Amino acid sequence: MKKIVIPGELLSVERKRLGGNVFVSEGKIYSKVLGISDDESDSASVVPLQGKYIPQVEDTVVGVVGRVVFAGYGININSFTESFIPKSAVREQLKVGDLVLSKVSNVNEMREAELSFPKRLFGGEVVEVTPVRTPRLIGKNGSMLELLAKGTNSEIYIGKNGRVWARNGNLELLKKVVLFIEENSFKSNLTNSVEDFFKKAVKGN
Amino acid sequence: MSKNEEVVVDYKKTKKRLDGRKMDEIRPLSIKAGVIPNADGSAYLEWGQNKVYAAVYGPREALPKHTANPLRAVIKAEYRMASFSVPERKRPGPNRRDMEISKVLGEALERAVFVEQFPNTEIGVYVEVVDSNAGSRVACLTAASVALADAGMPMRDLVSATGIGKAFNELVVDLDKAEEDAPDAVDIPIAILPNSEEIVLLQMDGLLTKKEWDQLVKTGIAACKKVYEIQKKALQEKFKLGEASEKLVEEKVGEKKVNTEKVVSKEANKKIKKVKK
Amino acid sequence: MRSTVLDYDVSKIVELARQGKRIDGRALDQMREFSIQKNIAENAEGSALVTLGKTKVIAGLKMEVGTPYPDSPDKGSISIGAEALPLAHSEYESGRPSMSEIEIARVVDRGIRESKAIDFNGLCIKEGEAVWVGYLDFYVLNGDGNIFDAGAISALATFNNAKIPKLNENNKIVKHEYNGTIKLERLPVLTTFVKVGGKILLDPTYLEEKAAEARYSVSTTEDGYMAAMQKGIGGSFTVDEVNYMIEKGFEVGAEVRKKIIKS
Repeated sequence: MKKIVIPGELLSVERKRLGGNVFVSEGKIYSKVLGISDDESDSASVVPLQGKYIPQVEDTVVGVVGRVVFAGYGININSFTESFIPKSAVREQLKVGDLVLSKVSNVNEMREAELSFPKRLFGGEVVEVTPVRTPRLIGKNGSMLELLAKGTNSEIYIGKNGRVWARNGNLELLKKVVLFIEENSFKSNLTNSVEDFFKKAVKGN
Repeated sequence: MSKNEEVVVDYKKTKKRLDGRKMDEIRPLSIKAGVIPNADGSAYLEWGQNKVYAAVYGPREALPKHTANPLRAVIKAEYRMASFSVPERKRPGPNRRDMEISKVLGEALERAVFVEQFPNTEIGVYVEVVDSNAGSRVACLTAASVALADAGMPMRDLVSATGIGKAFNELVVDLDKAEEDAPDAVDIPIAILPNSEEIVLLQMDGLLTKKEWDQLVKTGIAACKKVYEIQKKALQEKFKLGEASEKLVEEKVGEKKVNTEKVVSKEANKKIKKVKK
Repeated sequence: MRSTVLDYDVSKIVELARQGKRIDGRALDQMREFSIQKNIAENAEGSALVTLGKTKVIAGLKMEVGTPYPDSPDKGSISIGAEALPLAHSEYESGRPSMSEIEIARVVDRGIRESKAIDFNGLCIKEGEAVWVGYLDFYVLNGDGNIFDAGAISALATFNNAKIPKLNENNKIVKHEYNGTIKLERLPVLTTFVKVGGKILLDPTYLEEKAAEARYSVSTTEDGYMAAMQKGIGGSFTVDEVNYMIEKGFEVGAEVRKKIIKS
């Protein structure tokens, strides 16, 4: 059964496989964060409800150029520090405010992320969401993302760092749906609720 | 209470406190999490007449740079009181008492937060008292702890605080101003990590015997645990799980989820097909 | 200095403004929803918590007995302070009041003082010896732009019907006892605008302030007077633009006034 747990809350007195956001003390497993845990699962882990973006290798992120220096660009990826992209890595000249989609190729001990394959995003809009909830926007095997793209006819990229970039289609509707998912991310049957949301929106027009 | 307090109050005789509470009873306490939209985490707390706001910003880059610690996050706590939060106006600007309280509050939170997880960053914890009546520092610490959890900060436990001490010839919990002003008053703000009962904040003002302390510490820890229950509820209330249906949704908790994310990342990398009308 | 505003956001605001639009869908001359909650701080003689959109400000009044200025022996006085708390925004820093905080406090003060909203003679206790001094401080709890107007509303709502402490024979305040309330003679309302992308926007959010080239505030009263004006940030306004803002100020002022009276 899923329930909301708070930091320091006891999850299990027996040994279990350890998942994310838990710690062990004197043989018992506790939650590290405010989040959702399922005590019927065979592993103990917590899905956080809040939290800053912590870069992980392989993450796709939507970054914003915050600084232009001689050797390259300081990219804001909504984490603790900026990431740096050398000028040689991008085909065109970037300026402050430009949006860049890239992949996290490495994270050092200081949690600084190295970015690779930067790709400039033209036009469109960015919606910021709680970083830990982006998996809900993507869904299992990208199912939620597909639902969003179909329902709005938009081109969408979801950055794990809590930024959704979209272009064309019904951006106003997309913003509303994204907000809806944000607010209901921890509830069950979310896909159905989102489908209903789209149906109602179409009717309204 | 009228100014002419010549009446000698003796709690051992009255068996009840001036405001009617039992000796180990805390004043009404209510907490709401997530009240300051700009903050990473926040809480508003009312405890008796005390009203405080707490907000957390971080982990974020530590500035100025020389304050950063390469091994862990640095907690920067600031306790302030609004000029109108006290009976006699408090001049704007932090005084020495504010500085001391800021220091002990920050130090109380250090053991609770997994600071080693965020080297070279700072966690800003700001508390503002807008109305007060004894016990504002434990109110602020209690609120700050909720704000940290609300921010998604990894912690080994919440920090739950209360005041214990002595007034009018009896050992009491959560002294109010009238009791703090008692001739024999002893005021001991105390805060614990509820699971392990580790003490992270402890100060004292007054004269106490060891025997009195032994009694008090037990009652204090019990009172802190009551505070903990209220903090827990405030955090849970912010997010209420949906329908009773226990059906697991697309996203499975645990190892499977990690795999799902990896698959999805690759999906997100491919150009998302533009659905043409 | 921490900088978190993405220039991306600011250019978006300018683009929209040029088209006569705003991110939150408001009309250019539309104010955000606001609410007033009174008497929160029991230790204060008056207090008000104001929410204007997402901006949240709390004000409180403490009355003290002071000596009058030699040139006005029969008049009390007020002193207004403003503080943008670090808890309200990641870019706010703690420390001495910044130039912005001081400017905001002084503009709010000017509107109330010049409009003679408070009868200072009524604050006299004993001519030449003792007068009431009202210290009003307001604090920003969440910053999303237009601290000017939110602060001014909180100050007005706080003064309106604030309690006057009771005095004993020696003109010393008797704790927890009160004698009378402050009655405002006028309700001056401060209205603030910014110029973005060449257009005039009423009641700017934090991002709109960041995108602004110029800012203007005007305090208007119910009987047709302007009590204070302040142009801020760099940039400039044409005479026509200022006239437009003054007219809007009177219009919007009337609406805001109704709400303050109700609170």
